[in-house]
Order: sequence, then structure tokens, then C-alpha cells
Amino acid sequence: MQLVSRIYEEDSISAVQELYHSNGWTDGLPIVPPTRDAVEACLEWVMMPPDQLIGIEPVRGLAITAEKLAINAVMAGCLPMHFPVVVAAWTAMMQEEFLMHGATASTGGCAVLVVLNGPIRLELGAGGTFNALGNSDRATAVIGRAIRLCLINLMDVRPGAIDRSTLGHPGKFSYCVAEDEEDTTWLPLAEQRGVPKGASSVTVMAAGAPRQLMNEWTTKPEEILETFAAEMRANLRHYSIHPGNYALIIPKQLREHLQAAGWTKTDIATFIHERARIHRREWAEVGKGAVVRDRGDSVYPAMESADQLLVVAAGGPAGGFGAVIPPWLGNKSHAVTLPLGVCIDCEPPNK
Amino acid sequence: MSFQVLDPTPEKAPPVGQLAPRLDTLEGKTIGFISNGKEGTKGFFRHLDQILREEYGVAQVVSRTKSNYSAPADPHIVAEIKNWHAVVSGLGD
Repeated sequence: MQLVSRIYEEDSISAVQELYHSNGWTDGLPIVPPTRDAVEACLEWVMMPPDQLIGIEPVRGLAITAEKLAINAVMAGCLPMHFPVVVAAWTAMMQEEFLMHGATASTGGCAVLVVLNGPIRLELGAGGTFNALGNSDRATAVIGRAIRLCLINLMDVRPGAIDRSTLGHPGKFSYCVAEDEEDTTWLPLAEQRGVPKGASSVTVMAAGAPRQLMNEWTTKPEEILETFAAEMRANLRHYSIHPGNYALIIPKQLREHLQAAGWTKTDIATFIHERARIHRREWAEVGKGAVVRDRGDSVYPAMESADQLLVVAAGGPAGGFGAVIPPWLGNKSHAVTLPLGVCIDCEPPNK
Repeated sequence: MSFQVLDPTPEKAPPVGQLAPRLDTLEGKTIGFISNGKEGTKGFFRHLDQILREEYGVAQVVSRTKSNYSAPADPHIVAEIKNWHAVVSGLGD
């Protein structure tokens, strides 16, 4: 296999670490040395030659190749079996509607949320239960980290360089969750978004930090979802008015009340779309009176349409918690869902 | 134990645009502003407009604002650039 990347020879593991840290090639944490064997194993797993073009980053014209994705994936701790997800996620991120440059350069400081669906979750041991949005398991940890290392090293998305985030958030280390498809009656997110049943897939979203909520004092769907809607209204008031993709993470305890009442993801989205909206005049209550102007009666929904809501079944079995994951900047970036797979002589996605 | 490890960054630098030739003078020239539309651009470009006209003799300032402040300038704005002698593209934050 003909790799083109420059090779460095170091005489110890600590020397490798210092080489990568001193060149700004890490996220600050130790990396796995990307040796030729490890990188080639990733490429063989996805049956891609090193120079396979994953895409051209549209703003600065950067060519993204499979070899470079693989190097960064190995550094993040990926095994070959994790690499197809990294490739699919990056392919999704390079779709025009994701607006990757804007989303990764913005002062808004979002991260790329990756949601896994389909049988690959089980093959990888990707956990969608306990600690689903945290360090739940190896697979989601290293896949999420690979996304970030690729951004850092392939697009110079380094703090103060292309990454102009004011604050950022911890999801910029790793932000990947697997849906708990085995313990829900709901359609998986990817299927809801048009991927054939049973296909493994990724959904990427330019996402803010999770906003956790709690309501363990009711079993009524309307009351449970009102708490989610209230958290979204808070985001509309305190952060951004722009409508777009929001994700709701609904763990088992709350999910079971919704399922028992027969509520589907579509029902949830319809309810949320109706309730998650504010009047512009509410900004005056949170210190933003200067921008209310003469449009106080204007209504701002969190989403342009109900299908912009991404409902994900995930989280540990106990606890009346849930989370709202807000968009980076509304419709400036759209979530993208792509199935995984080997594609021979097929058209690029969405083209 | 020694390690042979690979460079994770691109071998080729991204293609970069070239700066247009510098103007000898701003006197009598038409200058375009491309704003991203953020709050901070208003005062910045207003002040710059005043300086260019009053101190540098600029004949005309054309102000345009992008429709999406996180995306490249709209094609119709880019198409206008050829009518200007120079462009100032500023960020609001």
C-alpha cells in the first residue's frame, strides 16, 4: 500500500507524544502512535486506497483523503472496525448543507454531534444506555475524538487558527452517542430520516452542549414534553433565535411513559414544534430589550417544521432526566444522515 | 523500541488566493465593503467609510452584506467586486 504521508522515527513512546503535542497535532490528550501497520489496517477494513478522495472542503479547497482520515482515527484510538463510521461521518460533514467551515470556525463554538444507528452499534459495543452523553464506552469515545482530530489536523481547526470559538464546550473532545434501539418501540433516528430499515448509519449535527432537564413527577406525555419545550424556549431566549435542528435525548424512564401512551417520535415532534416557540418581546426579560424593537409580537419557533427535531432514545435506565441539544446557529447548518457501506461506482450522496 | 509514525496533516498546503495589486492611491477610487452583518460591523464600517472619504479622498463606498454570516459571500456580491478598485471584507467579531 502506497502511503504518501511523511514518516517520523522516534525512539520512545514519550518522544512520539512530544512530537505530536509540540506540532499542535493533538487535542491535548495523549495519542495512539499512527504507525503504518495501524493506518493500513484501517484502510483495508474500509477497502479504500490511501488516496481515495473523501471530498473537497468547499470553502478553502482542501482535499480530504482516506489516508489522512485513517492516521487521525488511529491517533484518536480507533481500531479498524471503528473507521467506517469516521469515514461516513466525515462524508456527511462535507455535504454542502452542513456548512462545515462555518460550523467549525464560528465563535459560537459548537461541536459535531454524531448519532449512530443500526447494527454497527452492536458490533462496536457502542453504548446508548448509562452515561450516554459522557464516557459511555470505547467506540463512541474514539469515534467522536477522531472527528475532532481530523478537524484539527486536516483543516487547521485549532483554537485561534480556524477555530475561533469564544468558549467551545466539552463535546469538542468527543461527542458521539448510539441510539438505544433495542429498548424502545420508536423508529431509529436514521430510519425516521429516510435511511432503509436495518442499515447502519451516522447522523451529524453542528451542536451546542447538552442542556439537561428533569421531570420525574408526572407520567403524562404533555407534561414531560413541556419540560423539554421549556428548555428549548430558554435556549431561544438566552442563546439564539434561529430555528433549526434540535436534538432531544430521551432516556428510558421518561421514554417509557411516552411509549406507554402511544406517542411516536412524530407525535413528539409535532407537540414540541407547537410548544417550543417564543415571542420576541420575551428577550426584554433576559436583558436583550435592545433588539426587540417594534417586533415584540413576532413569534419565533425553535424549528421551521416538526421534522427538524431529532429525537434520540438514549440514556441509563433510571432517572427522570432528558437533554436538549441545541443547534449551533439554526438553519445555517443542517443535520445530515448517511448510511454506511461500500459503494462501487455510485453517485456521491445527495447529488 | 523505536516507532515510525505518520504525519497527520496534509502534504499540500491549501490553495491560496493571491492579493490583488496594491493601489497607488485611494484618491477618487471606488471601495467595496463586504460585511458579514454582525452587530459589530456597523460601527466599524461606518467609521471606516468616513475615514476613507474624508482622509483618503475615496470617491465612492459601496456596502454589501452577506446573507449568511458564516458562509462565503453570495455570488451576486462576488460578481460586483470587479466594479470596485478595492474591497474591505470585515468580521464583526
